[in-house]
Amino acid sequence: MLGLDVDHPALLFLLVLALLPLGALPLRGAALPSVALVPRDGLSIAVSLGIRLAGTFAIGALVLGLAGLNLKAREVERIGSGANLMLLIDRSASMDNTFADRAPGAGEESKSAAAKRLLTEFLGRRPRDRIGIAAFSTSPIPVLPLTDHHEAVAAAVAAIDRPGLALTDVGRGLALALDSFDASAASGGSRAILLVSDGAAVIDPRVQAALRDSLKRSPVRLYWLFLRTVGSPGIFDKPRVPGEDTPQAMPERHLNLFLASLGVPYRAFEAGSPQAVADAIAEIDRQESQPIPYLERIPRRDLTRLCYGLAAAACSLLLAARLAERGLGARRRTATDLPGIDTRRAA
Amino acid sequence: MSPVTTGEPEGEYGGNVVPYRLKWRPRGVRPGAHPGQGDGGDGTFRTLVPLVARPDPRRIDLRASLRDPFEGVHVRTFAPRRATTVAVLTDLSGSMGFDGTGAEVARLAATLAASAAATGDEFTLIGAGGDLREDAFIPATRRRGLGAQVAAAISDATPSGTSTRGLATAAERLPRRRCLVFLVSDFLMPEADLDLTLDALWRHDVVPVLLRDSRTEGDVPAWGLMEVADAETGGRRLVFMRPGLRARWQATARARIAALEAHFVTRGYAPFHLVNRFDADALVAFLAGR
Repeated sequence: MLGLDVDHPALLFLLVLALLPLGALPLRGAALPSVALVPRDGLSIAVSLGIRLAGTFAIGALVLGLAGLNLKAREVERIGSGANLMLLIDRSASMDNTFADRAPGAGEESKSAAAKRLLTEFLGRRPRDRIGIAAFSTSPIPVLPLTDHHEAVAAAVAAIDRPGLALTDVGRGLALALDSFDASAASGGSRAILLVSDGAAVIDPRVQAALRDSLKRSPVRLYWLFLRTVGSPGIFDKPRVPGEDTPQAMPERHLNLFLASLGVPYRAFEAGSPQAVADAIAEIDRQESQPIPYLERIPRRDLTRLCYGLAAAACSLLLAARLAERGLGARRRTATDLPGIDTRRAA
Repeated sequence: MSPVTTGEPEGEYGGNVVPYRLKWRPRGVRPGAHPGQGDGGDGTFRTLVPLVARPDPRRIDLRASLRDPFEGVHVRTFAPRRATTVAVLTDLSGSMGFDGTGAEVARLAATLAASAAATGDEFTLIGAGGDLREDAFIPATRRRGLGAQVAAAISDATPSGTSTRGLATAAERLPRRRCLVFLVSDFLMPEADLDLTLDALWRHDVVPVLLRDSRTEGDVPAWGLMEVADAETGGRRLVFMRPGLRARWQATARARIAALEAHFVTRGYAPFHLVNRFDADALVAFLAGR
């Protein structure tokens, strides 16, 4: 279905003018004593009709062009194969350090740069995914809604190695990522959240409850890519002393436990080096591949030029007709140029 | 035979005079140029009759009587010369407004008016479209210098209307006696209307003058577009001209002219074809052959 639209609907009243050419031809005309003298001719009638229609068409196209005819911006449902993937990226300041927890020196790359490089490669292998990006630090930051415009995704990913902010608020970031799955993502295809972070924090119990609640309503797969800094606590570490086993003391372990207890498919990858990150991403790549329907937004297309072009074509037809017009000429001086008629017949 | 130039200063019109004669003997009392009905004391010598047949001793032909071996007395008889009326009954319906037609009709009528004056006949002009046109009516007159007036009357009368019924009505304005009537028209009228007109003119000697224009008979460019407009109804029609259509157009025109001629022939009339321009030589030749 064509979503035709105009910018200035009031001008459409001028379309009445398009009826005018049906009544008259753009020719001067030549008077004859009687038009019955001219034999009936089908081709002439057809040409006459054609010229009239060209006139109607020219005025109609001009009016539509003036009114600003366009194809409305609309959404088209497409089927892609892949996943609705929400990248939730940690933008805390520690991401700017290397895996050895130092400021990156020559030949070293920061965790965020490594994540950027690997995510860019990952995106290159998955052209049909719908990907959204959210970041979190002190507050969650929506970066890009779920989309299949991979240039935009690549640009957003390219920006994640900008210097980070202060803290890490995983819980609200997760809530934002969950909210980002829109109605089209709910209709089919697998949905996954890839959490990329180098640390964790305590999740407020109220936020925990909200997360459980929304995951019950719309389950997603969860992947946690933990960029482990050398020497920092890992997510699978056992507490050395029983009193240490609190979310405050071991936030990574407890975030892992919390995510695992949510009742949705969940995998955590602990990556201590760029190579480990690559392995983890390859694993995710294998897991997330299903056909997904999604809505694609097609931008408005301006048809004004097309209208003006058609009007010009119709006008040139009319001009050609005008130029092809011939008159009867002046009254002849003698009758000798009249074939087959003997002027002195009666004499 | 060529038109006689009288030398009378009648301007653009009337310089030409075409001689004409009648196939019939006009009645009437006014002396003129045509051999009339009845016997008279002067005029064209007709024959000799015995005195007993015409007891008119004033006309005794002595030489013929003496020459007669039977000694009969002969009396000369003469045909009186009578004048008649020349009428131009012109169609003024819309179709006569076609480019240049009026001027040719004016020249024809002016020439006939001048010729009538030169011959000593009366001339009357009657124009009619759907109805009688008073602005194109000149009662029968013998006035000299009528040509210019006739031409002006025809030029000033704008043809209008879609009917030619007025021609039949106009016949009532003609003299009661038989006269020479030039019925000038393009005859683009229904056959019933033409019959109506010709029926109304039964008394008179009718010369149909068929106005023709080669442009209306297919003398048009071989290629091109033309929107023709009807001079009477104003209806318009596009014509995509091409050689094939032109040939058909010309064939149609020939058929129409032939049908008209055949129609006139059934009434014993032969039309004069005025094609494009009024040619006085052609009219002289036509009138000589009637």
